[in-house]
Amino acid sequence: MDFLAEGFRRAWGLLVAGDSEVYGIALLTLKVAVVATVISCTVGLPLGYFLATRRFWGRRAALTMVNTALAFPTVVVGLLLYGLLSRRGPLGGLGWLYTWQAIVVGDVLLALPIAAALSAAAIQGVDPRIRRTAETLGAGSWRTAWTVAREARFALAAVITAAFGQVVAEIGAAMIVGGNIRGSTRTLTTAVALYTAQGDFGLALALGLVLLILALVVNIALQVLQGRGHA
Amino acid sequence: MLELRGIRHRYEGRVVLDLEQFTVPHTGTVAVVGHNGAGKSTLLRLLALLETPTEGQVLWNGAVVPRRPPASLRRRVTLVEQRPILFRGTVRENLEYGLQVRDMGRNAANGIIGDVVDRLGLQSLLSRRRHELSDGEVQRVAVARALALRTDVLLLDEPASSADRAAAGALYRALAAERAARPFAVCIASHQLEDAYRYADDIRALADGRLSPVTPENLFRVELPAGDGVKTARVGSIELVVMTDRAGPVVVAVPPTDIFVSREPLPSSARNVLRGRVTGLAIEHRGAGVHVRADMGGVELVAAVTAEAARDLALTPGGTVVFSFKATAVQVF
Repeated sequence: MDFLAEGFRRAWGLLVAGDSEVYGIALLTLKVAVVATVISCTVGLPLGYFLATRRFWGRRAALTMVNTALAFPTVVVGLLLYGLLSRRGPLGGLGWLYTWQAIVVGDVLLALPIAAALSAAAIQGVDPRIRRTAETLGAGSWRTAWTVAREARFALAAVITAAFGQVVAEIGAAMIVGGNIRGSTRTLTTAVALYTAQGDFGLALALGLVLLILALVVNIALQVLQGRGHA
Repeated sequence: MLELRGIRHRYEGRVVLDLEQFTVPHTGTVAVVGHNGAGKSTLLRLLALLETPTEGQVLWNGAVVPRRPPASLRRRVTLVEQRPILFRGTVRENLEYGLQVRDMGRNAANGIIGDVVDRLGLQSLLSRRRHELSDGEVQRVAVARALALRTDVLLLDEPASSADRAAAGALYRALAAERAARPFAVCIASHQLEDAYRYADDIRALADGRLSPVTPENLFRVELPAGDGVKTARVGSIELVVMTDRAGPVVVAVPPTDIFVSREPLPSSARNVLRGRVTGLAIEHRGAGVHVRADMGGVELVAAVTAEAARDLALTPGGTVVFSFKATAVQVF
């Protein structure tokens, strides 16, 4: 048990001292997570609305595909992305392998199905009269979608939280396409794995605590946003 | 102005509306009456351009409406559903919604909202939210929200179903005031015949998704036995004697003008003689006669008599009455 207490003491010391490595890793993680969440939700939420509200041939298959993608193993996504981004791969010319952009792409691939599938479920939960009423009052497609989304905003905020949670806690793809390079692509999760393996339990714990605080702050921020809404 | 032509509309393969033609004129109030499930709400959704008919066409001023009607066309017609819903936000924000969509300036919008709020007595509700309103209040706000848009066609699905008599009266008076101020068409779906007679210029009946060839009162869905000639159809606790070759599930109608009204049974050739109690007397919209509603042992029938005859018979709500009609008067379709 001593090593645990020692670990916490070390973690607290690093956080209070403003250790540059800890905060550098935290900032990179935040940057990657925010960019990946914004991209996946910008694409995924409208996709979810489309799947929930439009009737078209193949809709059921599309929904099944999106739901299946929810269970994609992160290392497999990382592996496939590695194949695409490696020098011999079709996207090798981008030179993104072992960059933070590669981690963002991997995270987007993993968070997009979450954003699409859960937002489709959230929109399907909105009373269909809301959409009909918006339309009969003269709203165009965008205004109607906005009106429906407003009704589902608690659920949609939860979707964004889930997407952020997936991205911030992701390790498999980040490790494979990011390479865990110090000062460049080392995120909180890959760093925790590395320092634990190296036996630097205090640093790993400090980074783990930062990860928890990050997730907590984002969740609180979203709950505050939700709380502002009235019926 | 707004017309449905050759409509066969299906839900999951089942035909729910089958109309050769249905027209909403430029002005005036059309009432569509019928039982629950007769197809009234579906009809209104097609007229509101919210659904595309499975077969047939919707026409606006003679031109076919495309499958995805442009917003400019959709904004000329609006529907208040039977159980309307308000958006998140206050009553005022709900009233502003359609006007904002039309990019109306704040001053003009405030003027229009002020008008409808006064007409429907909504002043005290403006800052409330939907969970703070009763069903009747939601219905009034929804009608006000639609009225504020000043569309060419206003479609109302059972607009007074959650309202008490006073609120229903206020609602119909507001409609009348709006109609006096500008020409537009109103189409009301209702199962309340009394309202239809009181406020509509034209009444049409729907039964099982089809327009009834006879007036809308006294429509019943029955099961007729096989065979030719005189048959008995059970409607609730009463039996109707019918002359027809039809069998199986049909709709029967007794035209109110074919019913003899008396205080006591009269010796006659009428095979249907029903004794009951008067439940209401309604003077027709144009003042041509009186509709006598009577409860015949749990089944309501309506008979049409002249105002003079109603006076001579001293018909009053609660009083006994006898309705008589021949088997051949019962129409089957």
